[in-house]
Amino acid sequence: MGTARYITRRLIFAVCLIWGVSVILFAMINAIGNPIEILLAERPGITDEIIESVTKYYGLDGSVTDRYFTWLWAIVRLDFGTSIIYNLPVSEMLVIYGMETLKIQIPGIVIALFVSVMISVLAATRQYSKVDFGVIAGAMVGHSLPGFLLGIILILIFSYWLGILPSYGAYSTRNPVMGSEVIDGLWHMVLPVSMLVFFNTATLTLLLRSSLVDVLRQDFITAARASGLPERRVVFGHALRNAFIPVLTYLGILFGLMLGTAPVTETVFTWPGLGALYIMAIQQLDYPLIMGATMIITVMLVTATLLTDIAYVVIDPRIRLG
Amino acid sequence: MAIETATLNAVQRAPGVWRQSWYRFRRNRAGMLGLGLVTLVVVVALIAPFVAPFEPTDQSAMLRGAARRPPDAIHWLGTDRNGYDVFSRLLYGARTALLVGLGAMTIASLIGVIIGGIAGYAGGMTDELLMRFAEFFMVIPVFIVILAVVRLFGIVVVGTWMEDIPNLNLLTIIVLLGCFEWPPIARMARAEFLRLRNAEFVEAAVCIGTPRRDILVRHILPNALPSLIVLVALGIGGAILAETMVSFLGFGDPKAVSWGQSLYFNYEALKVAPWAVLAPGGALFCTVLGFNLLADGLTDAFNPRLRQ
Repeated sequence: MGTARYITRRLIFAVCLIWGVSVILFAMINAIGNPIEILLAERPGITDEIIESVTKYYGLDGSVTDRYFTWLWAIVRLDFGTSIIYNLPVSEMLVIYGMETLKIQIPGIVIALFVSVMISVLAATRQYSKVDFGVIAGAMVGHSLPGFLLGIILILIFSYWLGILPSYGAYSTRNPVMGSEVIDGLWHMVLPVSMLVFFNTATLTLLLRSSLVDVLRQDFITAARASGLPERRVVFGHALRNAFIPVLTYLGILFGLMLGTAPVTETVFTWPGLGALYIMAIQQLDYPLIMGATMIITVMLVTATLLTDIAYVVIDPRIRLG
Repeated sequence: MAIETATLNAVQRAPGVWRQSWYRFRRNRAGMLGLGLVTLVVVVALIAPFVAPFEPTDQSAMLRGAARRPPDAIHWLGTDRNGYDVFSRLLYGARTALLVGLGAMTIASLIGVIIGGIAGYAGGMTDELLMRFAEFFMVIPVFIVILAVVRLFGIVVVGTWMEDIPNLNLLTIIVLLGCFEWPPIARMARAEFLRLRNAEFVEAAVCIGTPRRDILVRHILPNALPSLIVLVALGIGGAILAETMVSFLGFGDPKAVSWGQSLYFNYEALKVAPWAVLAPGGALFCTVLGFNLLADGLTDAFNPRLRQ
């Protein structure tokens, strides 16, 4: 099977997946009945006529299948409706909050990649040394330390005890740090990004170190050394490139893991991102927002998985497609 | 003839695969540490009612104005903002944690082994469809979906007979975790069944007319167990972590005494009573680390050739 056909197949599967999630979500929300009735029930001054008209306003009258296809058609045009609680277009909210989420998650992965490459090279080139065992032990512990606990510990140390870093939010409400909005924003990012970097570094190091150890044993490395290349070029040029392939496929999973647990991360740091928005939406039963946020998170996740799948076959021609 | 039998009896029987694995496991320090941590959690869960100094529902410290007190001789790990004894709740929390971990992984193993086993043994189109189905569950944002289902299900049950089930919320979480965590087990079970389907001992069993059910359950499954046990150990830690995170976000069972609930109730008071957050957090960390190390050690013990 050729690469193009493989990619097409993955693409079709990804679309089916997103569609499947939309069906599950819609069925689930419909299982609990008319959301407007639940939201407005037993509030003073609410008559049946009001419930009826509000239901109509949000397009919730009509049969389930009708509503599903109306909703699906709207989603395809990127129209996620209006948030019931905030009375704002959901698509606008998703963009604003989504940017805040990416603002901590992308540096969280990029910085972790650099750090884990450095640590892994240090450990793998000294296999079975004290440094190596220290790195493995540290990575194993870091990998088992749940991210949000680390976040809590960081807040406790750097915000409450040392009092140098802000513990919540993405911006100061008044008096930005050093009088600059940009520095203020960056200053608020330090703790959440550190937490993500720590967690990602531990996981990536575990993977990259063992992969690097494997590669360094192979014949082509011996050949490279025998040809008189400086060790630095052997490790960084030849070995690292090949050791990186399993890491690359893991990046998609890692991104998904971070996005999936964004509600926890963002609750710990009171970060105004997609995860925090999602929590608010399900607490207050804001249906358009729940559906919009879940769809956008699913799409981001599936895209990340798809990209790593494709990168995998493009980079490593040895992979048998099937 | 008689002599041969005697010699055979005298020669010690070669240790089986489980015993051999145990010899290897015993030499693995990280694995033994994991086993120690897991044993500790199990023991604590079993003896919690006998050693806990206070009832987990005892809020009397609140009345004495002794809530949010730092650790002292009476309250070994202090009291939290609701007047609960942190140490007692920590001990009882181990029960909930293990219940969640074991319950979720029992469900996940059943689904995983059945689906993976059928896919691996049947092959062909069945295999393709079942594995695509498993992949679907691996790619969707499981945690996000669980949060929404827990919340919405809590509304659905209002006014039905299910409302009377004690700790229904916790049960929902356990079942959901089980229903979403099976794909890795299914994939492994498939790979193992596929590998063993054509093994010589299976062919021998087929030749002597063993019924297919016995071949699957008594010949193939026991040989697939080592790889599956590793995944189950990992999964127990993962399920405990997931339940804690669900509870931490406020969607847990308010009636259950779990570490996540303690984290949820006390996180707001982190600044004044950090011990009430750090204690359940530390317990969670030890448990997850224990199961991770145990799984790692088991991998090495079962597959010595993988070891580096």
